[in-house]
Amino acid sequence: MRLSLQFAFLYAILSAVMFFGAYWMTDREVRDWIEDQMRSDAAAFQRVYDGGGQSALVNRIAALSEFSFENERIYQLRGQDGAHLAGTVIDADAARAGEHVFLPVASVNAGSALSSEVSGYWTRADRIGPFWLIQGTGDHVIAEVLEALSIALVAGYILVISAGLIIGQFVGIRTERRIGSIIKTLEEVARGSLARRIPAADGDRDDLSRVSGAVNAMLGQLETLLESQRQIATDIAHDLRTPLQRLRQRLEHMQRATTGEDEDLAAALSETETVIATFHALLRIAQIEAGTQQSHFVPVDLGRLARDVVEIYQPVAEDEGQALTATIPDGAVGMHGDPALLSQLMSNLIENAIRHCPAGAALELALEEGAKGPVLSMSDDGPGIPADEMSKVFRRFYRVEKSRTTEGHGLGLPLVKAICTLHDARVSLSSNAPGLKVTVTFAKDAAA
Amino acid sequence: MRILVVEDDVETADYICSSLAAEGHVALHAADGKEGYLHALDNDFDAMVIDRMLPKLDGLSLVKSIRIADVRAPIIILSAMGGLNDRVEGLEAGADDYLVKPFAFSELHARLSALMRRPPMQTEETLMKVADLELDLVRHSVSRAGQQITLQPREYRLLVYMLRNAGKVLTRTMLLEGVWDFHFDPHTNVVETHISRLRNKIDKPFETSLLHTVRGAGYSLHD
Repeated sequence: MRLSLQFAFLYAILSAVMFFGAYWMTDREVRDWIEDQMRSDAAAFQRVYDGGGQSALVNRIAALSEFSFENERIYQLRGQDGAHLAGTVIDADAARAGEHVFLPVASVNAGSALSSEVSGYWTRADRIGPFWLIQGTGDHVIAEVLEALSIALVAGYILVISAGLIIGQFVGIRTERRIGSIIKTLEEVARGSLARRIPAADGDRDDLSRVSGAVNAMLGQLETLLESQRQIATDIAHDLRTPLQRLRQRLEHMQRATTGEDEDLAAALSETETVIATFHALLRIAQIEAGTQQSHFVPVDLGRLARDVVEIYQPVAEDEGQALTATIPDGAVGMHGDPALLSQLMSNLIENAIRHCPAGAALELALEEGAKGPVLSMSDDGPGIPADEMSKVFRRFYRVEKSRTTEGHGLGLPLVKAICTLHDARVSLSSNAPGLKVTVTFAKDAAA
Repeated sequence: MRILVVEDDVETADYICSSLAAEGHVALHAADGKEGYLHALDNDFDAMVIDRMLPKLDGLSLVKSIRIADVRAPIIILSAMGGLNDRVEGLEAGADDYLVKPFAFSELHARLSALMRRPPMQTEETLMKVADLELDLVRHSVSRAGQQITLQPREYRLLVYMLRNAGKVLTRTMLLEGVWDFHFDPHTNVVETHISRLRNKIDKPFETSLLHTVRGAGYSLHD
């Protein structure tokens, strides 16, 4: 848009320079032409004088002055002393002053035949024998020609400028729309919709469609890569289900067969539980990412859900010496979603804060109606996460270095992200100075 | 109790059946959906355990067919890990509960027991009692040995659920699902925390305990 306006402005200036040049040159040409005409007239009078002497010249001038249409042309013959001999009376002093002089109408006595359109005369003085011939051409002709030219130039100017603006605008809007669609696609991909592609533009294959093609090819490659990586994890979890079930059964069986307590056995069972929980979370993420869940979406009151979850976790935080508070609007905060997954999302955020914060920390779950949809945020004043690690915590099994000792399978935040993506929500981390703030921004009535 | 187990994995089926037998139940095994259907119609079972993925006739269709045949015995669906919609789909098909594999036998047993001894749901009592602990659903009041006890809403909800299932073993996941509608495994001691809060109010000031911990299984409210 800005580029097209800049072009239009440059165009306007260039055209204006060009048009003023044309005007100026035409003006000069017309004057030269009038000058030529008057010079050739003077030569013709010279021939009349040479052939017929003074009387012939006086007669010719008198006759011409009589019939000169609209007084466009005026002639005066003066004696050597400057006395009027024939023709129109022209202000003698002014006429004598130079060869080309402009005389206003007032200094010309042409009688009632004077045209109202003539404001003055371009005059020329020539010697013919002993006499002076003063002749003038009305500026009406010049004015007419320049007026016609001006109209043509101004009309042309307007036409050129508006055509430039319209074409510029059209090209600009088209380009902008296509760049916009490229950006929108890339943003959607960044949010996790890996299957999105830049729509092909109709028309010729220009630079932008070549860029789109290359980006689409890259996205395809990226999707395949991520898909296969995801598939590996899912396949492993899938294949290990039956062996895990059997392993657990055998351990339980052994436990029941032994009389009394066997610590090793109990520990083995507990480790098995951990493995199962990790696989369970992995498979759940994979299923959520498959996106089929959206067909099970129902109207949900996010406010009620948040109040319930906070109520459940308040005593848990209390036992850790932390204070969990909720800032939730009184009314319903409606959206479409999967209530079970949404409460898991909030639980994960709260548990994450409880686990990573020391005693005495203040945790807050806040919900508000944003301009684009509900905004859920979980803030704490705990140790936080270094800025360079923030983007990594959504990766599966990623653990912030210093939290490796705390328990958990490293799938809490990836699960949060998967649930957010399913609900068309964006999740972002920021520093709460001190502490961490996780913000989930839902799109207005997702998937409705 | 007579229990039908429809499960295609022989080792798992053996384990469930032998464990049930050890608890004093009579278990019958069917290896596929069709066989399971015939058994379900022929015999009078007190409960059924049906795997969701079965050869010949899948678990969901089997449950639907059993319900269409007007067999009303409680059914527990066994679903695969990560199954997101399994719970909803299982309940919609007519099952009474669901359990994700791999599970602990104690979990299955607790759920079976809860289902088999389920009182008729229509006659909802407004006054619930265990020993000298009383809860009035209409007046929202709780008292023990004549003393009024003030409970937080979250403690009240937990107590109502436990009184409704008084005498039965309630596992962690049963409480999570039944009381808080949590269909996932939290990583913090949510259940333990709430149980201990409730215990502090209804048990601690009194001589005898009513809220018992059942080792390796869960909790139970009884005298």
